[in-house]
Amino acid sequence: MFGTAAAQAHPHVWITARSEVIYAPDGTITGVRHAWTFDDMFSTYALQGIEAKIKGAYTREELAPLAQTNVESLNEYAYFTFAKADGRKQKFTEPIDYFLEYNNTELTLHFTLPAKTPFKTRQLSLEVFDPAFFIDFKYADKDPVKLVGAPADCKLQFQRPNDGTASAQQLGEQNFLNGDSSNFGAMFANKIVVECP
Amino acid sequence: MKQGSSFARGLAIAAVALAAFVLADAAMHALSAQNPFGAPRRAAEPQVGGIIGWLLAKQGEFYREISSTIRAAKTDGYAVWTLLGVSFAYGIFHAAGPGHGKAVISSYLVANRETAWRGIALSFASALLQAVVAVVFVVIGAWLLNATAKTSCGAEKVIEIASYALIAAFGARLVWSKGGGFFRALQAHVPQPAIAGVPLRRHDHGHHHRDHHHDDSHDHHHDHGHGVGHQHAHAHAHAHAHVHDEHCGHSHGPEPSELAGPGGWRRGLSAIVTVGIRPCSGAILVLGFSLAQGLFWAGIAATFVMGIGTAITVATIAILAVSARGLAQRVSAGRDGSGMLFMRGIEFGAAGLVLLFGLGLLFGYLATEPPTCAYFM
Repeated sequence: MFGTAAAQAHPHVWITARSEVIYAPDGTITGVRHAWTFDDMFSTYALQGIEAKIKGAYTREELAPLAQTNVESLNEYAYFTFAKADGRKQKFTEPIDYFLEYNNTELTLHFTLPAKTPFKTRQLSLEVFDPAFFIDFKYADKDPVKLVGAPADCKLQFQRPNDGTASAQQLGEQNFLNGDSSNFGAMFANKIVVECP
Repeated sequence: MKQGSSFARGLAIAAVALAAFVLADAAMHALSAQNPFGAPRRAAEPQVGGIIGWLLAKQGEFYREISSTIRAAKTDGYAVWTLLGVSFAYGIFHAAGPGHGKAVISSYLVANRETAWRGIALSFASALLQAVVAVVFVVIGAWLLNATAKTSCGAEKVIEIASYALIAAFGARLVWSKGGGFFRALQAHVPQPAIAGVPLRRHDHGHHHRDHHHDDSHDHHHDHGHGVGHQHAHAHAHAHAHVHDEHCGHSHGPEPSELAGPGGWRRGLSAIVTVGIRPCSGAILVLGFSLAQGLFWAGIAATFVMGIGTAITVATIAILAVSARGLAQRVSAGRDGSGMLFMRGIEFGAAGLVLLFGLGLLFGYLATEPPTCAYFM
C-alpha cells in the first residue's frame, strides 16, 4: 500500500536517444556513443543566458561550456548507461568527444563513453534509463541503435520499455517478489542486447 | 479500565492509523535516496503499477501538454484556456507526489490541534507563496539577470537545502513546544498502584528529554478521579509553566493564546514559509519556457492555476489528518489521564515527524523531487 502510493515521480525531462556500440577491429567493445535530444521545454531552460551571435542559431562553440556542464553532472548518475558483459557489470570512464547541437528548438547532447576496460563478450546487455524516472528516455523510432565495426555475426536486439500499465504492474510484482524494489525505473528501461557467438 | 473501552480503543487506533498513513504516505514519497546537500543519487523508489502507474502516466501527459499548449497559444488565443485547464489538473495530480509540503502541513495541524479551516488556509497560502516564489525566481534569474541554466540551477539547489533546513528547524520548534505537554501528560499518567491516599513521588519520567528540566520546586497534587492521589514534583524553567493545569485531564483543547491572536497567526506564517519557500521545479521550467516564447503572462497564469490545484490536494490531505485527529480526540476524551496522554503523544509524535522529515531531507536519507536541472547542470 505504501509502496505503490510512494512512487509518484514522473518525468520532467524527455530525451529521445540514439546509441551506438563501438567495436575495435578485433571485436572488442571500446565504448558507447550516445546522442540525446532534449524536449523543447528543457532545451529552452538549458539555453537560458547563452548568447548566440546569430539569434536562434547556437553554434557548437557557443554551447561548449553547457555541454561540459552536462557531461560533468551526468557522471553522478553513471550517464544512465548500465552495461553488462556476460552478466558482469562494466564501467565507463569520463565522456570524450562531447558537444551540443541545436536544431529546430531542441538541443542534442553527443558524447562517447569509453569502456574503462575494453572487453570482448558473447552477450552484451546495455540498458539506458533513469532509475528514479525523472528523465524519460525514449529511443528514436528510426535507427535507435547501431553497431559500429561489430563482427559480422553479431546480432542486435533492441527492446523498448513496455508503457502498458499491466506489464508495468507485472514487472513490479515480480521485482517485489524478488525483494528488489531498488529499481523503480527499470521497467522503463531500454534494453539493448548484442550477441556475438 | 471501563467496559466497552476496547471498541473505543479500536476506533482510536483506526483514527491514528489513518493519520499515520496520511503522514507516512507523504513521507514515503520522499523515499528515494538523496545525497547530502542536494543532488539526488540513485533512487530506491518502490514499484508502481495499475492505477498508480496510470496516475503517473497522466501526470506526465499533463506536464507535456503544458509546453505544447504554450506553444499553441502563440497563434491561438483559445489555447490559453487549455493551458490553464491542463495546469490545474497537473497541480492536483502533482501535489499527490513528493515535495509539496503535505507531510509538513498535516503534521503541523495535528501537533497544534488546528482546525480544518486553518488547514485549508495554510494549504492555499503556502501553495500561492510557492507560485509567487517561482515567478520571482524566473523574473530575477532568467529575465533581469539573464543567468545561465547552471547559475539558475545552483540557486535552485541552494533554496532546496534552505527549505530542508527550515523544515527541520520548524520541526525542532514544534518538538520543543509539544514535548512539554507530552511529558507532563506522561508524568501525570504514571501507572499508580491503587492505594488511595498514598502519595507517590515519581519524578523519574521524561528526564531523558533534553529540553525539559525538573528543578523540583513545588509539589503538584492532582486527582485523576479514581481516588488515586499522587504527587510529583516538577517545575519548569521555561515557558511551558503557564499550562500547568493542563494535565489535570480536562482541558484538552488548545490554549486560546495558541489558536488565535497574533501569536497563532505568526506561527501559521512560519508553516506557510517553510512549505512555500521552495518553488516547484516544474513551474520554473514552464515559466522559463513561456518567457522564451514571449508569453510570460500565460506562464504566470498557469503557475498560479497549478498552485490552486496543488492547494486543493494538500488541503484534502490536511483535512483528513485533522479529522483523524479529531476522531481520536473524541474517542479518548472520556478517558481522563490515559486519553490525554494519548493525544499528547499524537501531538508530540506529529511534531517529531516534522523534525525527522526535515533532518532526513537535509542529510540525504529522504528525497523529495530533485530540481529537474540537477541531472544536467
